[in-house]
Amino acid sequence: MIGQRRSLIAFVAVAAMALGACGSSGGSKSGAGGTSSTTGRPTPTSGNGTLVIGAEQEMDCADWVASCAGSSWGVWEMMEHTMPRVFEYQQAANGDWENVPSIMMAEAPTVSTVNGKQTITYKINPNAVWSDNEPITSEDFKYTWDQIANGKDIYDRTGYDKIESVDTPDPKTAVVTFKEEYGGWPSLFGGGLYGIMPSHLLQGKSRSKMMANGYSFSGGPWIAKWHRGVDVTLTPNPNWYGEKPKLSKVIFRFIPDTAAEFQAFKSGEVLAIYPQPQLDAVDALKSGIEGADQQINADTGNAEALWMNNAKFPFKSVAVRQAFAYSIDRAAIVKRLFGGIGVTQPQQSLNPPIQSAFADTSAFEKYTLNLNMVNQLMTGDGWTKNGSGIWAKNGKTAAITLNTTTENKRRELTEQIVQQQAKDAGFDVKIKNQTPADLFGKTLPAGNYQLGLYAQVVTSLEPSLCSIACSQNIPSKANDNSGQNWQRINVSGLDPLLETVQNSSNRPEQISASKQADLLMGQNMVSLPIDPLPNISLWSKRISGVKGDNPIFAMFWNLPEWSLNG
Amino acid sequence: MLTYVGRRVLYAIPVVLVASFLLFWLVRTAYDPCVKLRNTREGATAVRRCQENLGLDQPIPVQYGKWLGNALQGDLGTSSRTNEQVADMLPPAMWNTVQLIFFGSVLSITLALFLGVFSAVRQYSVSDYTFTALAFIGIAMPPFFFGLLAQQFLAVGPKDWFHLNQPIFYIVGLHGPGQSGFNLDYLRHLVLPVLTLTVQSIASWSRFQRTSMLDVMSSDYIRTARAKGVPRRSVIWRHGARNALIPFVTVVALDTGALFGGLIITETIFSIPGMGRLFYDSLNTGDANVLVAWMIISAFFIILFNLIADLLYGLLDPRVRLT
Repeated sequence: MIGQRRSLIAFVAVAAMALGACGSSGGSKSGAGGTSSTTGRPTPTSGNGTLVIGAEQEMDCADWVASCAGSSWGVWEMMEHTMPRVFEYQQAANGDWENVPSIMMAEAPTVSTVNGKQTITYKINPNAVWSDNEPITSEDFKYTWDQIANGKDIYDRTGYDKIESVDTPDPKTAVVTFKEEYGGWPSLFGGGLYGIMPSHLLQGKSRSKMMANGYSFSGGPWIAKWHRGVDVTLTPNPNWYGEKPKLSKVIFRFIPDTAAEFQAFKSGEVLAIYPQPQLDAVDALKSGIEGADQQINADTGNAEALWMNNAKFPFKSVAVRQAFAYSIDRAAIVKRLFGGIGVTQPQQSLNPPIQSAFADTSAFEKYTLNLNMVNQLMTGDGWTKNGSGIWAKNGKTAAITLNTTTENKRRELTEQIVQQQAKDAGFDVKIKNQTPADLFGKTLPAGNYQLGLYAQVVTSLEPSLCSIACSQNIPSKANDNSGQNWQRINVSGLDPLLETVQNSSNRPEQISASKQADLLMGQNMVSLPIDPLPNISLWSKRISGVKGDNPIFAMFWNLPEWSLNG
Repeated sequence: MLTYVGRRVLYAIPVVLVASFLLFWLVRTAYDPCVKLRNTREGATAVRRCQENLGLDQPIPVQYGKWLGNALQGDLGTSSRTNEQVADMLPPAMWNTVQLIFFGSVLSITLALFLGVFSAVRQYSVSDYTFTALAFIGIAMPPFFFGLLAQQFLAVGPKDWFHLNQPIFYIVGLHGPGQSGFNLDYLRHLVLPVLTLTVQSIASWSRFQRTSMLDVMSSDYIRTARAKGVPRRSVIWRHGARNALIPFVTVVALDTGALFGGLIITETIFSIPGMGRLFYDSLNTGDANVLVAWMIISAFFIILFNLIADLLYGLLDPRVRLT
């Protein structure tokens, strides 16, 4: 009797769970697929609804300008939906990405020279308001600049430290004067890393305390609530002055494990994911996911490359750098890594694809697998092969240590392919991987490496190669060891070109200089670009309105237009 | 008994202090939480500014001394990773882990006890061999692998096979979006992580219980009880199982105490922000304040559960007296 009762209880429990899974119609719609009202979850219908998105990472803090920020996922989960910014990134008809004034602006910012100084005038949309209905004003621009340029514990002051003053002639006009010409001005005030902050709420208070754990204000279409460790929930901003969001709620659920993220997507627990282009993600896409749409975007802000230390043996020699480049079959690498998802072309510039307008892709095109060229260049440089088939010169062999980040299967596979290809060409490559903190925080800045495999990721459309390729940015006492030219690139004639790219406000001049710089870097083979690290967007067919990937703001840039089908 | 408990607690204090200093020192030596700023355009300048803000420019013993002084006044400091008060980060993480441990332990203890006794009583039977084989599979099964199998065959698979709107069991977190409390949604989230957590425990604990039970069942007093005509059920459970519990209790208490440090793998693959995730995230970013607080809490629970095991000896075996 007792046994029967227990069996009955067990049966009822399982049946209840199964019934819950079957769901019911009616009620509001859920991105989690909808369940019956017994669970209290909303159920699928058309119209407004709740969409659940899987997020691989949780931001560490929401004080976007502080050193605890800097996470791309923080931008995608929260910042881009709540912080007003000067520019949006949109793709032009020719495929190039360009800055387009956001809805916060009344017109495009104007550039002028006043008293010999570069001045930018920002006209703010008269309808632009914060979520508490207070207007977005020029004081907000001033406050934002002041916090970043003069605040403590700031993530990155670049650009803001070049501003001399922010004047506020009227509440809807901000006039920014620079100490010196600065071509990267479009990346400021929400054009790049940060958005505009509300001075009427934060002035005189601790910005960190008000924002680090999330904030309730918004100058965007959504208001965000961050439940640490669990999710970020977006609800429509009632005072949003643009097109109203179609969904009543969007939830970014944190799923740090990639395999679990795919399982959650397959099970319908989340309806969209934006996974890193790791091997298991590529494999999962290759085998196909039922009921899902996907976009693989190779037009990204990433440039993964074999970064050579130009000041270290054997890459001190231009001929060796060129020979090494000719020993690598980049097309084979890209095909092996991403061929399954249709990305087969190697990256041909150190400028990432979204800055392709500034790139001359012929610069690196000639570097394909060519063992004859390897032999010619190495012998011409005085090298001969030893008994093991490895190049040697003056008693030293062409032994190269390749560093990359640990726990990255895609990069480990790339290393193995490079190692084998290099060996066939006579280079002895050894692999030594490190944690990202050690690699980017110590090894690379100190120049204690020969060859590194990693990606440069840009956060704005403004070209910034000078920071990693101008000789004055080689870490040294002169730049307080803060330079980022970790490759120790020092090519005659390159600095003036890249400085023009960085500082000029004249677009054609910037583009021309950038293309010349590309050619010069290709001729001197300063480092070898490999691939663009494609972005992967995956969403259920139940979602309408997804327009695809934006290399800076991911697939979530037009979230207000998303809706759920039944 | 109170004297005994007091003495054990007093012994633990210097151990925790030394361990916390060693951990603080190791973390500070191995990780620099500011080093991630080296990748910004301000580079070393930003790193140096961050180090000054966090007081990392001072000697490690001074940093530890300051931390300890504040900790004794209830201020565990601020997380260098999140800028959040450490004291605010620990309770929610601990609560999530405690839920998993509670349900996992109840299930593991119940099943392991039953399976251990059953296998011992029916030694060398088909069922004993079956449970033994399953136990070895369970012991050999890494949690990450079992967790992914469970996700595939208990969540994704049934949804596809039976064309359900949603999986029967959920993969992400302990509650659905906007949900809280003890309800069906909670149970559907709890099943897979608890199952993943318990497989190895059930397998290993049941082997302990089987071995211990076999020892006891071959004792003279059991033979005497049988000879005197004590009913079989009473011989097994009152005279056998109770005495066989002592080694079992020790293992369970030690293992359970250690679990409070977190279930890194289970919490990661099921996206549960518990103590294991907190430890992992903090270790990856050199967040010493969080790690030391985490260690003290973990040590507290290990000591507590050791103490509970000792106290239970006295309860299970009246011959044991604690002084």
